[in-house]
Amino acid sequence: MFNFNYNCMKTYKSYIYFAALVFGLSACNKQLNTAPTNAVPEEIVLRSVANLNTLYEGSWRALMDDFYSDIYGNPGFKTIALVSEAMGDDVALITTKYSYAPVYRFTQMVDKTQSRNNAIWNQLYKIINSTNIIIANVDNVTGDATAKQVLKAQALALRAHLYLTIASFYQFSYLKDPLAKTAPIYTTPTTDTTRGNPKATLKDIYTQVFADLLQAKGLLDGYQRTAKYKINKDVVNGLLARAYLNTGQWLSAAAAADEALKNYPLMPPADYTKGFNDVNNSEWIWGHPEIPSQSDGSYSFNFLDVSSPVSGYYSFMADPFFGELFDNGDIRKTLFSWDNNPGREGNLQYKKFRFRDDETGDLVLMRSAEAYLIKAEGYARENNITEGAAALNALRTARGAITFDPTGATQQQLIDAILVERRKELWGEGFALADIIRNQLPVVRKPYVDGSGNDRKVTITTPDGVTKQVPAKYHTALKFADGTPFVANSPNYLFTIPQTEEQNNPNLFN
Amino acid sequence: MLQKQGLLALILLFSSGLFAQTKLIRGVVLGAENKQPLEGATVVVNKSEHPVVTNSQGRFEVELTQDKALLTISFVGRESYETEVKAGQPDLTILLKASNSTLEEVVAVAYTTVKRSGYPGAVTSISSDKINNRLTPNITNALQGLAPGIQTTSANGQPGNSSTIRIRGVGSINASSAPLFVVDGAPYEGDINALDPADIAAISILKDATAANLYGSRAANGVIIITTKQGKKGDAVINATLNQGWGSRAVKDYDKLGTDQYFELYWEALRNKALSNGQTDAQAAATASSALVSNLGINPYGAAYPEPVGHDGKLVASAKPLWNDDWEKGMHQSAKYTQAQLSFSGGSERSTYYVGGGYTNNDGAFLSSGFKRYNFRSNLTLQAKPWLKVGLNINGASTSQDYPTSSDSKQANVVLFGRTIPGFYPIYQRNADGSYKLDNIGQRQFDYGAYRPNAALPKYNLIGSMPLNRSRNTNENVSTRTYLEAAITKALKIKTSFNLDYTNLNSLYYTNPLLGEDAAIGGTVQKNSNRFLAYTWNNIATYDLDIASAHHINLLAGHEYYYLNSSGLSGNRQNFALPYLYEPVAASQLMDFTGTSDNYTKLSFFGQGQYNYLGKYFFTASVRRDGSSRFSPDSRWGTFWSTGASWRISEEEFLKPVNWLSALTIKTSYGASGNDNLSTTNGGYYAYLPLYSIENNLGNGGVVPSRLPTPGLKWETNLNFNTGVDFGFLKNRIYGSFNYYRRTSKDLLYSKPLAGSTGFTAISANIGELRNTGVELELNVVPVSNNDWRWLVGINVAHNKNEITSLPQKEIISGTKKLMVGTSVYDFFLRQWAGVDAATGNPMWYRTTADGKKETTSTYSQGTQYYTGSALPDVTGGITSSLTYKQVELSFVFAYSLGGKVLDADYISLLTGAVNPGRNWSPELLSHWTPDHTNTNVPRFTTDDLGFTSTSSRFLYDATYARLKQLSLGYNIPEKLLGRIGFKSAKVYGLAENLLTFYGHKGMDPEQAVDGTTYYQYPQMKTISVGVQIGL
Repeated sequence: MFNFNYNCMKTYKSYIYFAALVFGLSACNKQLNTAPTNAVPEEIVLRSVANLNTLYEGSWRALMDDFYSDIYGNPGFKTIALVSEAMGDDVALITTKYSYAPVYRFTQMVDKTQSRNNAIWNQLYKIINSTNIIIANVDNVTGDATAKQVLKAQALALRAHLYLTIASFYQFSYLKDPLAKTAPIYTTPTTDTTRGNPKATLKDIYTQVFADLLQAKGLLDGYQRTAKYKINKDVVNGLLARAYLNTGQWLSAAAAADEALKNYPLMPPADYTKGFNDVNNSEWIWGHPEIPSQSDGSYSFNFLDVSSPVSGYYSFMADPFFGELFDNGDIRKTLFSWDNNPGREGNLQYKKFRFRDDETGDLVLMRSAEAYLIKAEGYARENNITEGAAALNALRTARGAITFDPTGATQQQLIDAILVERRKELWGEGFALADIIRNQLPVVRKPYVDGSGNDRKVTITTPDGVTKQVPAKYHTALKFADGTPFVANSPNYLFTIPQTEEQNNPNLFN
Repeated sequence: MLQKQGLLALILLFSSGLFAQTKLIRGVVLGAENKQPLEGATVVVNKSEHPVVTNSQGRFEVELTQDKALLTISFVGRESYETEVKAGQPDLTILLKASNSTLEEVVAVAYTTVKRSGYPGAVTSISSDKINNRLTPNITNALQGLAPGIQTTSANGQPGNSSTIRIRGVGSINASSAPLFVVDGAPYEGDINALDPADIAAISILKDATAANLYGSRAANGVIIITTKQGKKGDAVINATLNQGWGSRAVKDYDKLGTDQYFELYWEALRNKALSNGQTDAQAAATASSALVSNLGINPYGAAYPEPVGHDGKLVASAKPLWNDDWEKGMHQSAKYTQAQLSFSGGSERSTYYVGGGYTNNDGAFLSSGFKRYNFRSNLTLQAKPWLKVGLNINGASTSQDYPTSSDSKQANVVLFGRTIPGFYPIYQRNADGSYKLDNIGQRQFDYGAYRPNAALPKYNLIGSMPLNRSRNTNENVSTRTYLEAAITKALKIKTSFNLDYTNLNSLYYTNPLLGEDAAIGGTVQKNSNRFLAYTWNNIATYDLDIASAHHINLLAGHEYYYLNSSGLSGNRQNFALPYLYEPVAASQLMDFTGTSDNYTKLSFFGQGQYNYLGKYFFTASVRRDGSSRFSPDSRWGTFWSTGASWRISEEEFLKPVNWLSALTIKTSYGASGNDNLSTTNGGYYAYLPLYSIENNLGNGGVVPSRLPTPGLKWETNLNFNTGVDFGFLKNRIYGSFNYYRRTSKDLLYSKPLAGSTGFTAISANIGELRNTGVELELNVVPVSNNDWRWLVGINVAHNKNEITSLPQKEIISGTKKLMVGTSVYDFFLRQWAGVDAATGNPMWYRTTADGKKETTSTYSQGTQYYTGSALPDVTGGITSSLTYKQVELSFVFAYSLGGKVLDADYISLLTGAVNPGRNWSPELLSHWTPDHTNTNVPRFTTDDLGFTSTSSRFLYDATYARLKQLSLGYNIPEKLLGRIGFKSAKVYGLAENLLTFYGHKGMDPEQAVDGTTYYQYPQMKTISVGVQIGL
């Protein structure tokens, strides 16, 4: 067939070819070792305190500025605050808006198959694991002893904060049953052989929380923080105050709160109207700054901000009964107005939260106002009316509200006043559902109607200048979804452990 | 039996240098059915070894050394013809009939080509005529229905998008199940859109171990080999094609309620809600009438009717909507399809060339969507020395895809947007009397509708903002395939080839600062640039030996090195001070900037032996060893192998007398191939290290744990058994093949779920086993074949059963599916719809109580999840037909898929009713429960969320469909007319793609994701075109 001359094929060509092949192959073999550029192997993280500190910073970022499960409805840790508010008494959620309607109607958090349950659960525990890695390794890494001490303390306090959050939402009040099984505790890093821990009781969880916080407090002596998102002793005291309050250790709560609030004078009234978006506010003990390039957490303002044009959903409207709780002269009362925009007419806006112009807003985590209220409640629950009223009135005075007259007041009257003040002062900050659970109260939502059952009308002036009367908008979910009335200690108030945890943790119920 | 020449022989054995002083015979070879000249037909005199080849006019001349001679004329794909000629006789006209069977053709398999007859592997080939002239720029969309066992679904029909291809079922759970693409001998990593279907000569689909396994590590999910066109020796051939078409969406969108019905229905919901709040009938009616307009934010009936629906729930007499704007229509554009190709090919004794270029412009049916491509290809071969052959194929393409959001529930989704907004919201701003609000220069102004409720997408008007926005992917692709082949001896050849795919992908996503969704923040811009470089270097030695004509041995040994680098930058900014500037430089606020780079390498060694005896008994075996950079140095090497045998029974003497039997081969094969294609969430390119991913915080470096260590992770292995029979009856008027296979994927690269409380949701592990079992039938019939008529019908049918045979734990729930031994990877696990409670009008689901009783509940969260059917089809396949009568050709490709279910979330969004006022509603809601109408599948109507639209089996629909993928009618202009204008051939034709769709659930395009869930995706396009094809 072929008529080629094979003689012209010089044999040395084969050798050259073969040599090139061998050379090429040996070069290739080394190429099989590759490394990522957007991730680092563990050994590098565990090398020094400076490296290990990146795990703390990353954890903080993951806590505050990640859309949990990549869903816009879950803008970081603020998701939990939004859920808590939507399930309370005072947010009359616009149910046609994005994401929170099923929460508001009590059909979501009770359903173990819902993705939000998964998202919150997974993220909280992901960060708990990161703090465990820090705590387990920080003593052994190289670096400055003080830096190691501070990092360890911050990791301990952050872990306590997360377990405190879990204890507040995944089980009824500690005061109802401290031995109720709640959620697993992990204090060591997860390895490839970890298969899951059993549910621990509230008591076990709080024991861990107190141990962590008290250890952190000692380690943070003398630490001067450089930014308000970093945990210092004041933050630890604030967390301790919350934990004491939840567990009924009233005087300890008051004392810790008193320590926490010292360096954070209540803001001047004018600051209250600035939109709750500035971490430099004098009474913010703990908060997270937001910047345009790191603003997932700011997305929460799309729900809470009901007046800025850049806001997305403005769905967290106030209930009219909530507006009626405020006295004239109270700076907070000036933030209310009836929405006059087409499509939203008759909703009660409470303009507490507002975006900055660049669509960011710092995220509040702890304010001295809360500490004053814990202090007041601590004393009140111990029946110290004078001290309790004094702490409450310090706050009321700062806001321009009518003070509480302790003369002849009963303990219950003071406690009731403090709980109402918590709703008024802390609206939108995530305490609504937590307080309902903690105090074993039912959710209270009523129709805003006149004596004969007709919708009450309010007067608005539309943007076109037309003045008209429209029905005031109020709660649309007045009962549980199955038609039964709201009751205290309803399972519908609790966050459910997600189905994936049930499925994949063989020890959960042990 | 037929006498035929193989394609290879045709190319290699060319010679025309024999001139002697003898008698000359001239002739022309034409196709029998259309009388078109056949270029490259071989003419052999007296069965000698020196054939003559016809030129581009089909003409040939041969010298006779004697007065008489026997001429054998043959052409690929046609029946050979023998005739006796005498010196001095007039010019011959030889008509070659198309041959019936493709069983004898030469097809590409791993690193080599084989003749299909007798080959033990399962290979399906698709000829160029099925794919060259299709009205889709993406070759993956053209494969549907053409071959058995290939499930092709195009979930997103946006121009320029690819289809998902699964060969013989879904082969993996967490690693990739996509087949390997090989173009001209090397794995293809470029953009599939860079390949112009017009340049493709043939496609082979390798389905079993024998055919595919030489690609070892990458063959687990089958291989699709694309061979591009090469020039043929002879005069230059010039081909030009021009198509002009028009497109629209292939199926109509869901029906929606009109304004009047909408208002009355919503009134009813508001009334019912007020009643349940304890109001009296009268109060409730008043509440409903007054809240209606305020809740919807608009009154399309005008100021004269402040309460357009009266307290009786009826529209006030004489109230008429002042406008009814069609948003759906507003989101569409007239879509043109233009395609032009020009190619030159030819060759001399020492070289061949094919040079082609093309232009495609495929507008989308929706605003601002479309795809454009400019491409060229140059395929050259050069016989540099008698022993040395050089080849170079270069393909270059520049593509631009205007790619507005067309999946998921974002407001900017062009498909969802028009579907969502009802006609009572105006597209342009209107006064209360219905007249347009004009601006100071008298123009209409788009209405961005900040007043609209959330469900009607406030602040968005894509009809107005899309032309000002931009979302564009521009890709530049260069692919080269170059080789050097040396014939060391007659039997031994060494080939080295270097193959490079380079893609530069750029995307720009811009929203304008003037109007619409991002006007408040001054507009946004995101720009990404990704460089993607992959090269494969392989060296292959082949030894081919015939011993005494009875034994044939073919040995192959080689090595391959594969390298991939992907590197990208992306940044985004916002706040443009000035309009009509699209690049980031003009935006004043930096938001983010980032970039990453990844390497992936593989090193492989492989060998294969093929042996046959007497052309009757065939054996093959192969082995390959692969190292992958994805795994740890200790576990990165895997060994894969295959073995196969076949027996051409029809060649046996005892069957020779059986006249009706033309071909019969039985074959079987078995082998193991690998898969290392982990998803990014499963470890991606670095599937062994404990890793912490970068998450910086407020200017401080930050990391978070991203994966647990898995040092022992190794290859996923696919064990593939195939047995089948190829047959041909009645002179191959009926022929085809039947195959049975069992693919077992073991050591699955699995994301084993972990309890979220551990801080991780999964750990990578080699666990679990998955089995695909199936049968495939390909049947071709030639009912008519004579000088004027030729009709071919092909039917292919495939049934696949996907079954999990081992799992690390009893069950794994993942989204809407649950995995368990005995079920498939895509079995729906949902709450089961139990209908509407006739007494209360509440929706009901089933639940199983602790003591095992099945009862109903109206609380969704209490419903139990059950298996409710599989997303995978039972039978897939296609029917093809081509009919030729003289100059007229009519052909079609019809694809079908039977069985399986789709969970239609798109439709759910139209059923939410008064829970989401302001969004379009389906007319099905009219049949809702009332005390007088209790037998219904839609619950009572209220603004409360009853959970009705929560995911349940209520919204599972049968996924069965059939689609006329392609219809073509062509006319070849007779040669005598062409001669005058100097054309060699000319054909005019009409084409249609996706012309007809047969399906049950109206509104939903039946082609959805393989897992059976919808995602508000761009439907398929229907395109009709006319075209002309000219040969010079």
